[in-house]
Amino acid sequence: MLPKRPGQECPGNASGAFCGGSYHQVLERIYFMSKYIVKRLLYMIPVLLGVAFLVFAILSLTPGDPGSIILGITAKPEDIAALNAEFGYDQPFFVRFFNYLGDIVFHFNLGTSYSTRQPVMNDILARFPNTLTLAVLSMCVSSIIGISLGILSAVKQYSVLDHVCVVVALVFASMPGFWLGLMLLILFSLKLGWLPSFGAASLKHFILPTLTVSLTSAAGLLRMTRASMLETVRQEYIRTAKAKGASNRRVIWKHALKNALIPVVTSLGGGFGASLGGAIIAETVFAMPGMGTLMTTAIRQKDVPMVMGATLFLAVLFSLVILVVDILYAFLDPRIKAKYQNGGKGRG
Amino acid sequence: MKKTLTMLAAACSLTMMLSASAFAAENLVIAVDADVDTLHPTDFSTTVEMTVLNQLYDSLMYINPEGTEEPEPRIAESYEISEDGLDYTFKIRKDATFHDGTPVTVDDVVFSIELYKASEYQGSQISMLSSVEAVDESTVVCHLDTPYAPFLQGICSPYIVSKDYYEEDPDAFVTAPIGSGAYKFVNRTTGSNLVLEANEEYYRGAAEIPGITFEVIPDAATKAIALQTGEVSFAEIDSSVLPQLEANPAITIAEVSTSSFTYVSMNLEKEPFNDVRVRQAVSYAINRENLIQVCFEGKAEENSSICAKHRFGYSDDLMQYTYDPEKAKALLEEAGITMPYNLGKILVAEKYSNLAQVVQNDLKAVGLEMEIDVKEFNAYIGELTSGDYVITVLNMTLEGDTQQLEMAFTTDYIGTANNARYSDEEMDELFNQAKMETDTEKREELFGQILSKAQEEAIYAPIGNPLTLYAYNASLQSPEFPLEGNYFVYDFSWQA
Repeated sequence: MLPKRPGQECPGNASGAFCGGSYHQVLERIYFMSKYIVKRLLYMIPVLLGVAFLVFAILSLTPGDPGSIILGITAKPEDIAALNAEFGYDQPFFVRFFNYLGDIVFHFNLGTSYSTRQPVMNDILARFPNTLTLAVLSMCVSSIIGISLGILSAVKQYSVLDHVCVVVALVFASMPGFWLGLMLLILFSLKLGWLPSFGAASLKHFILPTLTVSLTSAAGLLRMTRASMLETVRQEYIRTAKAKGASNRRVIWKHALKNALIPVVTSLGGGFGASLGGAIIAETVFAMPGMGTLMTTAIRQKDVPMVMGATLFLAVLFSLVILVVDILYAFLDPRIKAKYQNGGKGRG
Repeated sequence: MKKTLTMLAAACSLTMMLSASAFAAENLVIAVDADVDTLHPTDFSTTVEMTVLNQLYDSLMYINPEGTEEPEPRIAESYEISEDGLDYTFKIRKDATFHDGTPVTVDDVVFSIELYKASEYQGSQISMLSSVEAVDESTVVCHLDTPYAPFLQGICSPYIVSKDYYEEDPDAFVTAPIGSGAYKFVNRTTGSNLVLEANEEYYRGAAEIPGITFEVIPDAATKAIALQTGEVSFAEIDSSVLPQLEANPAITIAEVSTSSFTYVSMNLEKEPFNDVRVRQAVSYAINRENLIQVCFEGKAEENSSICAKHRFGYSDDLMQYTYDPEKAKALLEEAGITMPYNLGKILVAEKYSNLAQVVQNDLKAVGLEMEIDVKEFNAYIGELTSGDYVITVLNMTLEGDTQQLEMAFTTDYIGTANNARYSDEEMDELFNQAKMETDTEKREELFGQILSKAQEEAIYAPIGNPLTLYAYNASLQSPEFPLEGNYFVYDFSWQA
């Protein structure tokens, strides 16, 4: 085996300094990293303001007012007007918008729901743990299945295993989620009686929803990992690694995988962020109170504070997840890490 | 091997026996479509909320929705209406207590009624009440300015709540209610379930079913599966899952009549529906039986009147429109319509779009053509109430006293529930008389006149009254459900 040289451990490295380095360099790295993180956190403010304005405006443009939606078609106009006034919905758009923002900034108050007349945070906090559990479980399951089968598929390209994986993935990717969920329910709850059919009371309740969400998303991951892996193994440096006598296993795990996973991590991050909004179909089919159903119900009832609160809550989380994913890149790809050092100005 | 199998079988039968004997003391699990938004006894708006509150609180009296039987005593032992129909006197029972053990007093009753009247959500039901007062320790009198016949039904709606508890902690009053009914609040998990237990001190005796769990299951198919696995023992179901549940011997189905009606509404302010003959033609052109088969799996009562057949005021002598396309064509010709005539669009909310397809087909067969314009529900209601449509099909509920039908027919309600935008002095006057009339027979006659007039003028083209379907565990015993199916778990029991 050849003696290690800087850069060898980091394929495609543009800045060898990051693969080791002195105490000073470590400090410098932390400094640039934290500067980058603070900058990204500050960027979140305009993003959140934009989200708040857009959602508030769209809600105001849609027909109907909370009073008449709650009280129904047979209600007296004066009762509807009184209720709208109680909600402050009789005020003009900008007054309502700035009042709302003021409440958040100065009182840390996300508002009171029109339909429950309780702080919207109560509902969000009651439901978010379910959504988070489901999102984390499904992400774990789908990445374990998707990535490992994807690698296997790529390594054994054109084998029987590869064909089976690709076909099965295609089947699951094109299967409607609610149908898959219902089939799982019929099999595991109704016919076999192994699992509960609804609710979120214990971990057992999460098995079927997790399967429903992860089977469809694993299919996408598998296809993406496979494609990305196939592209990577055709790169020059892989040929170099093979030429210098590295074992097949080492080439795949050490050289190819890290690069091949970058697009996969991107899609995982995005997918995880999106699933924080709730896997609406799984939540509906398995009667699991989560963010997705909370928001769809609130939109239908024109519960402005609830929709806004949930949207902002998710927007913050989503931004944080994307930030974490971006930082994760640095560990996978030192080219990107070099970007942080240049304050994001340099090209990777 | 054989031995293990027999042991296994024995173990199985043993567990089955155990679960069967444990059944008698089991909670009743009821699946509901949506979570309750609130447990506020006056500021509620959904059916689920009313269902839960019905178990938690008692009202003054119970009146069956058909309006055909004597009111049953609850918090009030008896009632009396003064000769002039202006004073309603209730005798309050002494043995009723709230769930915290404090007695229900006349002050609580007065407070409950006042709270109810002030509510934007429910207050309109007793808006004609001018004042309420406690005369002595067991008597409450409600005063009206003008006689209002359906008032008794209205005044029996408010739930009797604890004034002290409201004043002590208005938040807990809503989130951890202390009621006056057969079941006590235990706890609630937002979005998933709500648990009640029997009130041992209930003045009518403790309920037979020891507890109720309301589970939120929005999806109709999931609910059907949960019923079959036994996780849920009682639920209102969608007609789409009826075949699979009917096939299951462990499940009983109850079909309950409701006063809700599915109907075609035509805008009388617009051509060609300002002509009565065109409206009559529409009513003749619709094949109601077929529509009920296609859209309700046959689970609706055919009826071309807005008034459900069990309701007070409906009579079998009432003229009914039946499917007669030839007559429809003749009427259209008489009205000078050249066929095919383009009506433009039939406005419809997404959940009623299957109804619109059938209506479109039926009307096309007699020469009236239209396109279907599907709108999101709130947008739909907006256009419907503002009169920005020509023809539509929908479902509506005007429950309670038959007087409620005035919302569909009188000038005051144009812009809300009078979707036809029908305005007729004679009709307004008839409803006014029915409201003031305290003599039951005369009122019935007045409603008869109103309903015949509505049929003659074909103000709406009603199709039928959808049935409410309940599916429940066969070992649950329930009484006959009244019209509308508002149920009280107090009346249920497990079969021994």
